[in-house]
Amino acid sequence: MSQTSPSRPTPPNAVWQSLRANRGMWLPILVVVGLIVVFGIASPPFLSWRNFSAITGEAATLLIASLGASFVILMGSIDLSVGAIVLLVGSVCVSLLANHDYGLMILPLAALLGAICGGVNGTICVAGRVPSFVVTLGTLSIFTGMALSILSGRAIMFDSDVLDTLSTGQLIRHLPNIALCALVLWFICVAIGIWTKFGRFALVIGGGEIVARTAGLPVGRYKIASFTFSGLMAGIAAVFAMSRLGAVGPTLGQDLLLNTIAAIVVGGTSLAGGIGGVHRTFIGVAIIALLNNGLNLLGVGPYWQMVIKGAVVVGAVLVGQDRLLSRIVK
Amino acid sequence: MTDLLRIEGVSKSFGPIPVLHDVTMAVPPRSIIGLVGENGAGKSTLFNIVTGLERADAGTMRLKGSDYRPQSFADAFARGVTRVFQEQALVANIPVYENLVLSQEHRFTRLGQFLDKRAMIAVAEKIVEDAGLDVDVRRVTSGYDFSKRQAIEIARACLAPRHLLGLEDPVVLLDEPTSALDREDETAFFDLLLRLKAQASFVFVSHRLSEVRAVSDAMHVMRDGRLSEKLDPKTTGETDIYALMVGRERSDDYYHVARQQQAVAKPMLCSVKGLKGRGFNGISFDVREGEIIGLGGLLDSGKSAFGKALAGVEPPAEGTIALAGAAARLPRIAQLIRQGVGYVPAERLVEGIIPNLSLAINLSLPSADRFSHLGVWRLRRERRAAERAVREMGIRSGSPGGPLRNLSGGNQQKVVLARWLQRNLKLLVLDNPTRGVDAGAKEEIYAHIRGLTEQGVGIVLITDELIELIGLSNRILIMQRGRVVAEIAAPVEAKPTEHDLIPHMLPSAA
Repeated sequence: MSQTSPSRPTPPNAVWQSLRANRGMWLPILVVVGLIVVFGIASPPFLSWRNFSAITGEAATLLIASLGASFVILMGSIDLSVGAIVLLVGSVCVSLLANHDYGLMILPLAALLGAICGGVNGTICVAGRVPSFVVTLGTLSIFTGMALSILSGRAIMFDSDVLDTLSTGQLIRHLPNIALCALVLWFICVAIGIWTKFGRFALVIGGGEIVARTAGLPVGRYKIASFTFSGLMAGIAAVFAMSRLGAVGPTLGQDLLLNTIAAIVVGGTSLAGGIGGVHRTFIGVAIIALLNNGLNLLGVGPYWQMVIKGAVVVGAVLVGQDRLLSRIVK
Repeated sequence: MTDLLRIEGVSKSFGPIPVLHDVTMAVPPRSIIGLVGENGAGKSTLFNIVTGLERADAGTMRLKGSDYRPQSFADAFARGVTRVFQEQALVANIPVYENLVLSQEHRFTRLGQFLDKRAMIAVAEKIVEDAGLDVDVRRVTSGYDFSKRQAIEIARACLAPRHLLGLEDPVVLLDEPTSALDREDETAFFDLLLRLKAQASFVFVSHRLSEVRAVSDAMHVMRDGRLSEKLDPKTTGETDIYALMVGRERSDDYYHVARQQQAVAKPMLCSVKGLKGRGFNGISFDVREGEIIGLGGLLDSGKSAFGKALAGVEPPAEGTIALAGAAARLPRIAQLIRQGVGYVPAERLVEGIIPNLSLAINLSLPSADRFSHLGVWRLRRERRAAERAVREMGIRSGSPGGPLRNLSGGNQQKVVLARWLQRNLKLLVLDNPTRGVDAGAKEEIYAHIRGLTEQGVGIVLITDELIELIGLSNRILIMQRGRVVAEIAAPVEAKPTEHDLIPHMLPSAA
């Protein structure tokens, strides 16, 4: 979206200034490189192909779930219900699979179900003029409750050859199919962000909603669309998550609430909207996934992992964002 | 009698832009000093300096004979200088008495942390009683209507120094306190002011000349950061005062008057009939091709609200807008844009541009129909359009992909204007198109506006600047309290003067 500056040679302090101005862009990449180096030195197995497959497989679900939510955050809203939609869609799918093996058809079904959930979020936000934080906090509870009552609070196993291939197969050596799919979806979303009207309007509405309205943009419609898209991606993420576990239990998607928002923000998309985009979310997901994996390999206990991850999120925002740009802090 | 407050030669600049030049003003005890001036004349900056919110670059202030240089709002309050802001500064959801002692609670602590509610109420009741207000201080503040809350705020400003600090003779700055009051409340407000005059001195800013004249003992006009001599409101006429506020030399070249279109013979373009909405009522007029209709009036005349309705940003409640024959009843913005209406809003940074995004993105904003096809955005076409706009509009921008916030106000405004040139434009609604724009860029914008009229675009120009209104318009409509009260022709050979317009703008003419 940003064009490169003209070929005219720029004085050194201009280079420094542009580096400073664009630090939301390159700092996260630097963090990824730094994490790989540090963990690689501290724990040799970190750099093995085996571990590469483990990281990518694990990051796949998070990436897919974060893609849709990126558009919502870019637009200046927030979707707290991503993890809950994953759980609800997972529960419905596992009940469906108990009667009949739908094969790959389970994927569009899940996407549709997720999109409906997201559509509900968006419609309430726009029609009821309720802040998205409140709406999705409410539906987070609603969707979770519905899912748990479907599961009766227990984990339900399922058998599906297609989903097994999806999670464990490797079309490209060392890269699990699930990660390959996530990568493809990421490419598609980046394309949507750069080349489509939807992507453009998301950016513009996030950057200045009043300006967008004054210019006659159908703001409400696009807000609903972005929540629907977020739900749709969460639905797909649900299938990926259950395929890795071979079951759906009450904890499915639980870590996604924090991790999706963390990944998006750490990647450099502003919670105030209008800055960043889905292309950056990839880096954010990489940082979260590398941290999870590396800290595990180093034998850091789960409680301290939480502390470190939280510090990274807050630190990334402190360092990365130009706070002069974001007028509002909510 | 010596002056209570003396401001002597105060100057202030924001960066390279001077906002106050050598301002000298005296406030005698128990007096009301009226202060009038256009937006941006420097009134608020002067108030900010007197209340410690900003520091003067040069000059001195003396309060009750001793040196006065407040370092903060609290500092000013401690010396007995208070201020009532344009927007109400009462906390709505707490009792009145808590508002009356707000920020001074530490005077009521017992045993370290506990607040002595009874003492607070007692002081609050004294304040209300002294001001002669019928207010139960225990009631929640939001239970009172706007005018009552304002009276409470003014009572606080006048009497809190005495009852909380034991300071007599406070100086109270009133920043446009009447702009949101209706007639009846206004009368009550002035009664209160004259009553409180026995215990306080006021500097009173308002846009309504007649009321300033009615209550002030002396008045000053501020224009471009300079303060006029002290005027006697009893002997100085409103027209003279207004001329001091806005009087500037008009040069025909600056407004490209020679390029003004002879619109009378041109085909009809747009017909507005009986438009009614919040702040305006029963507005009807026609616009011919290439014609510039100027809309003038005081700040509260409803001209900006009407502009928003005409552009569909806030659709009108009643009335029709017929564009090239096709009538749109209660038109909505997307429909109007499709029919060829464009809108340049007054608040550029809030409504006009997205400062963090690039010129190209800001340019293509309302034109998804031209810059996207089947949902795909045409980036190359957009980039070319941006390059063309930069060339044709003379936009000076560092890097074309950089955020728009790096451009000057004038160049930003050119982008907003260029936005509508991407479309098949028929009618352009401009609300203060040169606000915050430097003189050079202003002339360029005027030239572009003339260029549009030469192509047959009709223009509705809403502006606070009289001279711009006269310089650009073919016809001028003056609005007052939501209605058009006068229509004045402004042909090239017989442009009206400010003195011709001013009487129509003032309430006494209604």
